[in-house]
Amino acid sequence: MQIKLPRRTLIVGAAAVAVSSLAIASLPATAAAEPGISATEIVLGMQLPQTGAASPGYNKVDDAMRAYFDYVNSKGGVNGRKIRLEVKDDQYKAGLTITTASSLINNEKVFAMVGSIGTQTHISVIGDLNRRKIPDIFINSGYSGFYTDPKKYPYSFGGLGTYVVEAKILGKYIKENFADKKVGILYQTDDFGRNAIQGFKTAGVTFETGKTSAGFIAGTQGSVGLASQMSQLKANGVQVVIIASVASTTAVAVSTAAALGYKPDKWVVMSVGADATTFQTILGSKGVPAATSAALLTGIISASHAPAPGEDTDPYVVAFKKINDDFNKGPDKRWDNNILQGMNIAYQTTAALMGVGKDLTRAKLVAYLENNGSKISSGALVPLGYSKTTHEAFTGFWIGAYNASTVLTPITTPRVVYTTDSGTGPVTVSNYVRPAIAADALPKVG
Amino acid sequence: MKNIARKSAALLVAVGLITTGVIAAPAHSAATCATPSGVQTVTGKLSNGAAYVMKVPAKFGGTFFFWNHGFRPSFPYPGYTPPAGVEEITPYSNNRSADVTCQMLRAGFAIASFDRVTTGLHGWNTDAGVEMLKELIDLAKAKYKTTKHVVVYGSSGGAPVVNKFMEKYPSTADSAGLMAGLTNMNANIQSACNLFYLLSIFADPTIKGCAAFGAKGVAGHMAALQELGKAAAVLTAWSQNLGAPGLEYPAALKGSGIPQRSALLLTGLLVGVPTKSAHMDGISTSAVIPEQSINATVAILENMGEALGTGTFAGQALAEVVGAGFYDNTKTDFSALLSEADAGRFNLGLSGDDAINAMLGVLALAPRVKGDPAVMAKSAAFDAITYSSTKPTILLSNEADRLVFAGNSQLYVDNARAAYEARLATWQAKYDAARTSTAKEALIPSKPKWNTMALYALTPETYTKFTAAGLPDLAGAPAVSGVGHQSFTEKQMMTWVRMLATSADTGRVPTWTGAASQLAKVPYMNTDEFYQPSLLKYNK
Repeated sequence: MQIKLPRRTLIVGAAAVAVSSLAIASLPATAAAEPGISATEIVLGMQLPQTGAASPGYNKVDDAMRAYFDYVNSKGGVNGRKIRLEVKDDQYKAGLTITTASSLINNEKVFAMVGSIGTQTHISVIGDLNRRKIPDIFINSGYSGFYTDPKKYPYSFGGLGTYVVEAKILGKYIKENFADKKVGILYQTDDFGRNAIQGFKTAGVTFETGKTSAGFIAGTQGSVGLASQMSQLKANGVQVVIIASVASTTAVAVSTAAALGYKPDKWVVMSVGADATTFQTILGSKGVPAATSAALLTGIISASHAPAPGEDTDPYVVAFKKINDDFNKGPDKRWDNNILQGMNIAYQTTAALMGVGKDLTRAKLVAYLENNGSKISSGALVPLGYSKTTHEAFTGFWIGAYNASTVLTPITTPRVVYTTDSGTGPVTVSNYVRPAIAADALPKVG
Repeated sequence: MKNIARKSAALLVAVGLITTGVIAAPAHSAATCATPSGVQTVTGKLSNGAAYVMKVPAKFGGTFFFWNHGFRPSFPYPGYTPPAGVEEITPYSNNRSADVTCQMLRAGFAIASFDRVTTGLHGWNTDAGVEMLKELIDLAKAKYKTTKHVVVYGSSGGAPVVNKFMEKYPSTADSAGLMAGLTNMNANIQSACNLFYLLSIFADPTIKGCAAFGAKGVAGHMAALQELGKAAAVLTAWSQNLGAPGLEYPAALKGSGIPQRSALLLTGLLVGVPTKSAHMDGISTSAVIPEQSINATVAILENMGEALGTGTFAGQALAEVVGAGFYDNTKTDFSALLSEADAGRFNLGLSGDDAINAMLGVLALAPRVKGDPAVMAKSAAFDAITYSSTKPTILLSNEADRLVFAGNSQLYVDNARAAYEARLATWQAKYDAARTSTAKEALIPSKPKWNTMALYALTPETYTKFTAAGLPDLAGAPAVSGVGHQSFTEKQMMTWVRMLATSADTGRVPTWTGAASQLAKVPYMNTDEFYQPSLLKYNK
């Protein structure tokens, strides 16, 4: 796919250069305002499935973001500007992602897109957003293809650690802890699954197609089911099942395995597939009691870049929970991982906007993220990986297991956070020391 | 064999010709318009015998429009007679089965058109069309001396006539309009031929496609029809089973479990067939169409029949001009024609990455079609233009035109912009080299101006209707906007016409700011200055 710069802009630029030699005196005193920026406001856009099959759990992220922005606004906003978040429901249908992006750009005149959710949906608009030079920040997708080549998508920045990074770290754990077990994988045969396989392979965990590797087409887990895949893994004696997919897959896979009498020694689920809220909501919609779904989740290994939402003493969790209580006007403000992620993204966005300063432009925001993004602190236990050569977000994860209260709990005490990259770099222990959150829960920049 | 071909192809001929406007498609009802009184109608023959007609209202405002219709097959295929005489005098909407003659006359515009048939050719006779158009304009201006401005405009395959005319006679017309216009025949026919080729790989290995085109006369036309008939059989089967059965071809994928619909979707995506159609919005779902990419697959199926039909006629007509062997895919990297965005967005319909890789892998190894380099060169140069026109040029396209894909408009804009930038650079060098302020000032009037604007009619966000059984309803009225070839609403067409008239008067296309407020009043017209449709697969 070829990225085409908006030539009309170039022409305007070229024309402006030509004109400037003729009529410098007639140039306006100040440059034209950037879309979505006024003296009093910054308009941000976001797309996510607020309704539909893919919405459970994810549909809380936007309300959490708005709650944090409202909190910021209550403190005077960013450099005197209030942040307004305009959200569009794409129902996880790419056709709607395209039309709603158009609406956000042309009707709402957003300054930047922030926190949009979904790989298959976002891939439908990421090229156009970049062609238009619209910052597309803190994307809620771990697909490395969006971030590892900033020449391809110079305006897009991640909001999650990549699936490759996570798979490498989980892979190291599996190699070290389940060397005597037969390890298999259930994965969606798309960008996500491809990323995961790549990461595990880099970590030395490989699979045998048709035996220990069971793929399925993303989106069919609910309609077609996963019986054949789980039967395959069972028949091949897979003892450790990795799931590289979304939470709805985990729900179907775990319940299907139970129905088949298949009891792997261990489930290892990549983080977006292990969200407790989503897992329990999906099973709940099928009549599975919360206690039963909690039991199914218990013991599952997963990873996270941030503290678990159940870590009640973590200063960021404490602060964000308070803001959630006070400002979240969404229909479901129950504190969970989705709300924590939404708060964290809004916090980071606020930091970036503050960092650019009063003279806020799209180009300056991108430059700021590239030059200073790795210094933006947040609730995450690893830094952002942003630089001029990569727009990957979180560079590490810690590994945990779900307890009976559906809280992801570190498997080691104290918690060990690992870091790596989306390439072939080694997995090492992170020595990152997360800056403390300020008493007012606002980012401190510069 | 010929009889079989005739029978099997008759339906497809009709389908294909719907798109040309020769046969009326199911239509939205056209609004009534009372023709103003006092219209003077003049008919006659050009020097080569082609008919023309002029209509001039009593309240003629001085702007004279000259219409150029699109490609028409010259051969009397079964069920089709090449039209004779002037068949379109103003822009015609296939969906509405109506033109805007009345509306234009009421607006005070004079209108004219001509029968673009020469030496038995009714399609790819662009150079002859240019001279006929020039003669017609000269006749009109001589007769109606109050003519102040001339607008030349055309649709589809008429666009090359307009473009070549503007370059050959740059001072004759004041503005140019391209409706659903074909920008580069070679780029389009390459994709159309790929379509046949891909069907031969995934559905019917007996299809020869464009490799079968080229023989002159009846034999050539019947051979082309036979190819169309084979493709029609494939599409008919898919329309009945929605491509649910597993692939039978190629042999390497038989038993792979990949449904035929995934190959259909992949074929459409590699060719650039729109993923929205008259009835399918690429979004809506039902029990039978459970996911958006399946909706898009049906859209491609709906679009593909007509694309193949007209591709056949246009391809054979091209072959009659340039010769056989214009199609070559020996160097085609089909995997490069599938964008990352499409592979992700339509992943489920394509049956996931494994299936995509399997299908592309087989394609990479499949025997290829080798063309004749001399003929390919002729085809590449066919109706080529230099984009040297500096007159206002306004394009109008449907977002999901199934025949002349909307990417044609973007290609025109891109090429026009490159030519403009080159002119500007040349001018700037002269300006910089001028040594005195007087010399610099003297150059200012000749400074190149950007004078091209592309308008797009968009579809509603969703419009697919399903039957009670969950099947897509393909028999109802098409989407109100943005779909079909040369199918626009009256308001859309008249907005374009009025912009052409204004531009002819001012010498400049409207500013986008000015145009946007006008366009915002017209349902489904794009108001986004930076909108870009899907690009052609051969975008040069």
